[in-house]
Amino acid sequence: MPLTIGKIASLAQVSADTLRYYEREHLIAPAAKSAGGYRLYERDALRRIRFIKQAQQCGFNLAEIRSLLALRGSNAACCRDVRHVALEKKLQLEAKIKAMKVMSNALTQLIKECSADSRPVDDCPILAALERANGVKRRSR
Amino acid sequence: MKIELFYTPGCQECANARDELRTAAKEIIPGVIWRELNALDELDYAVEVGVITLPAIAIDGELVFSSLPTRRQLQRELTKWTAGAG
Repeated sequence: MPLTIGKIASLAQVSADTLRYYEREHLIAPAAKSAGGYRLYERDALRRIRFIKQAQQCGFNLAEIRSLLALRGSNAACCRDVRHVALEKKLQLEAKIKAMKVMSNALTQLIKECSADSRPVDDCPILAALERANGVKRRSR
Repeated sequence: MKIELFYTPGCQECANARDELRTAAKEIIPGVIWRELNALDELDYAVEVGVITLPAIAIDGELVFSSLPTRRQLQRELTKWTAGAG
């Protein structure tokens, strides 16, 4: 029995708006529309929605998920094709983690430089360091 | 000089091109060190070099190609590289 957008959204724990968004992004489409124009989905769509959600949690963007879905539905593709995509995504995530660690370490250093006293913000060493990083010299008072 | 090719295990595209590129590199620069690295086993190093797509090629630890070059592209890059080093 076909499911309405509200029903399938509830089963998949997403909002109906999310499903409409997925549809605009060509990730999912209703199997049919009712006489009244309401979207109707087959039960299989539930698996597809869960796949999309899980892939998003692994850091894949919608374009990448579209590629994964295409691989999933392709007879010519095999597991190593998917592994290749997953490995590239992991490399991208690790590169972001590395960049964020650098940022975090920079903040640790700035926090150390600040004694957290009640000096006015014009004398704040953190703000001064950020301005220096932008090549702006602080005006002396 | 050290050339490192990062690849995904099982990638047929990489396997086909690897031999040709290795031969080309050794012809252009005799004595070049050619390494083929499984990105899964060398993930940390791949990230350090800046690899985010596979296959990729680094020369002396610097990412130079983020996809497999043609023989001609590799040749051009190696020539430039050796000229710079000299």
